[in-house]
Amino acid sequence: MVGIINAVPPENLDEYKNVFVFIELRNGQLSRPGLEMIGAGMNIARKANEKLIGVMIGDNISKLADDAGAYGCDIILGAEGKELKQFRTMPYSYIIGEFIQEFKPNILLIPATRNGRDLASRVAVRSKAGVTADCTELDIDLNGRILLAKRPTYGESTLAEILCKKHRPQMATARPGIFKIPDREEGRKFQKDIRKIKVPDEMMGKEIIEFIPKKSLDLTAAKIVVSGGLGLSKAQGFQILDDLANELGGVVGASRPTVDLGWIQRDHQVGQTGQSVRPDLYIAAGISGKIQHIMGMKLSKNIISINTDPNAEINQYSDYIINDDLYKAIPALTEEIKKRKAGKKTD
Amino acid sequence: MALEIIVMIKQVPDSQEVVIDPVTFTLNRGAARNVINPADENAIEAALRIKDKTDAHITVITMGPPFAESALIDCMSRGVDDAVLVTDRAFAGADTYPTGLTLASTIKKLGKYDIIFAGEESTDSSTGHVGPGVAEFLGTDQASYTSESWYEDGFVYAKRELEDGTEIVKMKPPTLITVLTNANDPRRATLRKKIDAMKKGIKTMTLADLGMPPEWVGLRGSPTVVKSMRTIDEKKREGKKFKIEEIPKLVDELIEKKIISI
Ligand SMILES: Cc1cc2nc3c(=O)[nH]c(=O)nc-3n(C[C@H](O)[C@H](O)[C@H](O)COP(=O)(O)OP(=O)(O)OC[C@H]3O[C@@H](n4cnc5c(N)ncnc54)[C@H](O)[C@@H]3O)c2cc1C
Ligand SMILES: Nc1ncnc2c1ncn2[C@@H]1O[C@H](COP(=O)(O)O)[C@@H](O)[C@H]1O
Repeated sequence: MVGIINAVPPENLDEYKNVFVFIELRNGQLSRPGLEMIGAGMNIARKANEKLIGVMIGDNISKLADDAGAYGCDIILGAEGKELKQFRTMPYSYIIGEFIQEFKPNILLIPATRNGRDLASRVAVRSKAGVTADCTELDIDLNGRILLAKRPTYGESTLAEILCKKHRPQMATARPGIFKIPDREEGRKFQKDIRKIKVPDEMMGKEIIEFIPKKSLDLTAAKIVVSGGLGLSKAQGFQILDDLANELGGVVGASRPTVDLGWIQRDHQVGQTGQSVRPDLYIAAGISGKIQHIMGMKLSKNIISINTDPNAEINQYSDYIINDDLYKAIPALTEEIKKRKAGKKTD
Repeated sequence: MALEIIVMIKQVPDSQEVVIDPVTFTLNRGAARNVINPADENAIEAALRIKDKTDAHITVITMGPPFAESALIDCMSRGVDDAVLVTDRAFAGADTYPTGLTLASTIKKLGKYDIIFAGEESTDSSTGHVGPGVAEFLGTDQASYTSESWYEDGFVYAKRELEDGTEIVKMKPPTLITVLTNANDPRRATLRKKIDAMKKGIKTMTLADLGMPPEWVGLRGSPTVVKSMRTIDEKKREGKKFKIEEIPKLVDELIEKKIISI
């Protein structure tokens, strides 16, 4: 624990060098948000001519380290042990704290997943560092090697640029689904430094007594999202959205009230209290476009709105508008796509 | 001895009343009422549910301007026993580090604590850093993003909702729990309790009570600075209209622009 103490900056900022990225594992495997951090950190490390150091914690991670190295880290710095198999804040923040003291990284990036945010909050206080949450753009100002961390605020309407000039490391969590996973380069040379670290007993923390896996629906990874709102008027309405999503190779999203009514599960919810998506195509069927929903989808590259109300707010955010009953429009769209596919086969 | 529970709450502008300015696309929060941060209402309910079953005493705390008193009275009207407002000019402009520092210091001053509750995040700063930060300052364990929590035989249990599943954890108190928005259905205030709350009143603490130097807190104690804010460049959306009969035309355009591929 850091104790009740203020954020005293280090005396010599020049001692702090290189970019740490936390490669989050999930279920003992490399996770997509974890690999995205390699992409986010690489640009910065290259620009500053510094090393990119992937930090990995888990059980038996040597193979995973080889795998991650191929994505472009200069060093994989790991801690392994049976008791580190599952993510737990106390031992993980202890280990990262130790790594920070030893390596003095200038920058530390952590994915803004639930466990990532849980960890970052704690490591920041432990290191007396500043942390910017949920960034969508990251860059470095070579003058002073200052991390330029940008994050959307006020309901995704504004982009705030946040700096941390005097404290180290400069920390940020980065939103999943934004940064590109670099291409693999087989046989790439990198250094592997995997350690067995003895975590003090009092830093072991909670016991995980059960994990109930669920088939995770990753809305943020989808290129096409077909969402439904109260305009569906019944749970069964989601079936026609499912059909269209299947034809398009997309997934189904939902507005919050449909989730609250139990028409569809919570992990489909888009918006302020659901997931933020920015697919190539977002189809909003029977969704009015209240701000809390808009916040979660307005960065989509293309938006189609299907609504009986010509003045629905969602129309202001749409590239294409079908002002009609979704029970007519959605099946018509599905049929048209099917027809095209069939036509293509006979070509 | 009664279980000592602390709930950290924050007052925020009501996001249902915040409107988007159609020209600048920024939020106009000017007109919005102040409400309890939604996730914090769920945190209060989570604390009250433990009190329903166990001998417990709940204190709600907030670091905020004097008018945050109304939020605290609201909490007491739902069954919270005591409320503390930590307020001082010096706290203004705090980022998550000094906010956590101030709250942790307040909790320490209050004495014994077994479970500390916070919301998963606040709607106005949405970092989710303050709760776990307080845990680090105090050296307690933590369980974030919980949908449920309970106390049994001297241990605190919580269900954490993660992207790929639900994790059930067991912790020794003292510990800190952050609660998901919508995790439960918060109970309403009662008139009788509200009258009691107004009679009892809240406790106020200032920087002097915490005994910290002013440069530790507020803007001066914050490692991060906001360098600039700019409106996110909204893509100009054309809003091209299509009738049902024109769906083939729409599909043509989607394919041509490579928005979908067949
Ligand atoms: C703190 C907070 C957080 C919130 N978070 C979220 C969130 O994360 N996500 C979210 O979505 N909401 C969220 N909300 C709720 C949000 O404010 C709106 O209530 C919600 O988005 C409205 O859902 P809707 O568009 O499905 O329903 P409605 O607003 O009722 O709109 C239904 C629409 O369907 C149209 N319609 C009706 N029949 C048809 C038909 N046959 N064919 C075509 N169109 C039809 C209507 O014209 C109308 O526009 C939140 C609210 C609060 C207070
Ligand atoms: N000023 C504050 N006073 C009391 N609690 C706070 C304050 N700021 C944040 N919190 C708590 O920390 C949680 C996370 O807030 P944030 O880190 O701002 O997203 C909130 O839901 C509150 O429980």
